Amino acid sequence: MSGVAAMTKGAFLRIDRDRCEGHGQCAIMAPDLLHLDDAGEVVIDVADVSDRMEAARKAVQACPAIALSIE
Amino acid sequence: MTTTEIATSSIDIFSDEVLQDPYPHYAALREEGAVVYLPRNDLWALTRYRTIRDALENSSVFSSQRVAFNDDMNRALAGTSLATDAPDHRQLRKTLLAPLTPRALKSIEDDIGSKADRLVDDLVARGSFDAIGDLARAFPLQVVSDMIGVQGVARENILRWGEAAFNVLGPMNQRSVENFPVAGELFQWCKTVRQEDLVEGSLGHGIFESAKRGEIAPESCGAIIHQYVAAGMDTTITSIGNAIAHFAAFPDQYARLAADPSLVRSAFNETLRYEPPVNLFGRHVKSDIEVEGTLIPAGAQAAVLFAAGNRDPRHYDDPDTYRIDRDPADHLAFGYGIHTCAGQGLARIEALAILSACARRVRSFRVGEGQRQINNMTRGLSSLPVLEIRAK
Ligand code: HEM
Ligand code: SF4
Repeated sequence: MSGVAAMTKGAFLRIDRDRCEGHGQCAIMAPDLLHLDDAGEVVIDVADVSDRMEAARKAVQACPAIALSIE
Repeated sequence: MTTTEIATSSIDIFSDEVLQDPYPHYAALREEGAVVYLPRNDLWALTRYRTIRDALENSSVFSSQRVAFNDDMNRALAGTSLATDAPDHRQLRKTLLAPLTPRALKSIEDDIGSKADRLVDDLVARGSFDAIGDLARAFPLQVVSDMIGVQGVARENILRWGEAAFNVLGPMNQRSVENFPVAGELFQWCKTVRQEDLVEGSLGHGIFESAKRGEIAPESCGAIIHQYVAAGMDTTITSIGNAIAHFAAFPDQYARLAADPSLVRSAFNETLRYEPPVNLFGRHVKSDIEVEGTLIPAGAQAAVLFAAGNRDPRHYDDPDTYRIDRDPADHLAFGYGIHTCAGQGLARIEALAILSACARRVRSFRVGEGQRQINNMTRGLSSLPVLEIRAK
């Protein structure tokens, strides 16, 4: 966690690229917040999710590989 | 530390009685405690949703060295992704996962869809059939055999092998003992299969190509194919059969799906939550750990009851009700964490293809009495006669 992110107000989706296996469950649960590109990489479309916490939590909860978190 | 009295239960979770209808037993265990010691099985059952997710996340304590419930199978599985801990797990899983990522599966997705459409067209035309034999088994058998490139006699054996592969993960009860020789046939076939036995252009054929290019060790080709068959057949079959059984048992839910086939993804998640194909897997407890006030001692074996967690009212409201619009994407049927099912993308593609083919063509249907298939690890049916179909 970078100091800047920690100090910035708001809630941010963070993806651990090392753990992500492209299962795509996050994007299915929160299509407005993130998507998978043609190479199967997750792209986060909405940086600050503080006013979309319900969708963001659903995405985190659905990730089977524990690759997604909210900071 | 407030280690209270240890919750115990005298049930044998692998007995015919429990396997016939495990849910009341799982509910009792869940209320007994988050952790319940089972003296008859010498297992520490993890029963609640949160406890299970936390344990699966904590893979350095809850080790996969003992995923099976007997020593012979744990020895046989040593060196597979399923039974290996971090850090060695990583590379094994990577190799296994490469052909199974959603991206890699894109190329066969359309083909799987057309196969599903053809099969369902044919069954609808017949009007009555066995939803297990003619559909739930026939479809993954065709898809997975074609994918791996299996032909001839081996193809005819795959169903038996797949079912046995799960039975032998149980304790050394009668069922395991009877199934060891059958599971052994699969090990033997995987050990001796050559590239030219597999259809050119298939995934199985490609695995041998990777070995030729030096990307994987030649001796791991058979092991990889073994995991696809052993882990991927009976599970997918069971999930499709259970979905049809749920549609039949809850016709109002099926009517909603038939009216809006786009609910199929949610419906499949609900089927996996309501009756996960694999009831449980084991874990070896590497060091003393306190879980919800209960100390599980180092060296113990935990039984991770996915099926009990999936019905935990602390996590899902009204958990014993099947609701196709619930969309419980966080169910435990595929496990969680570093060992989460490597084949879930393929399983989803297969199940969604066949179930949506049904939902798009069949308005309603009527079934006769199904037969339960008793297996040490999985929960499914061995037959379910469809007596009548009203096509759209
Ligand atoms: C609905 C169908 C399926 C279900 C319910 C299912 C269930 C599971 C579960 C619960 C695990 C976790 C085991 C653990 O934590 O110890 C797992 C792992 C695994 N599954 Fe599946 N599975 C399904 C389909 C498939 C398919 C189609 C394949 C392959 C073609 C497959 C291959 C694997 C492999 C290789 C692992 C081990 C992964 C690892 O440990 O890294 N599965 N599966
Ligand atoms: S669900 Fe998890 S593993 Fe899958 S793409 Fe999203 S972040 Fe990656």
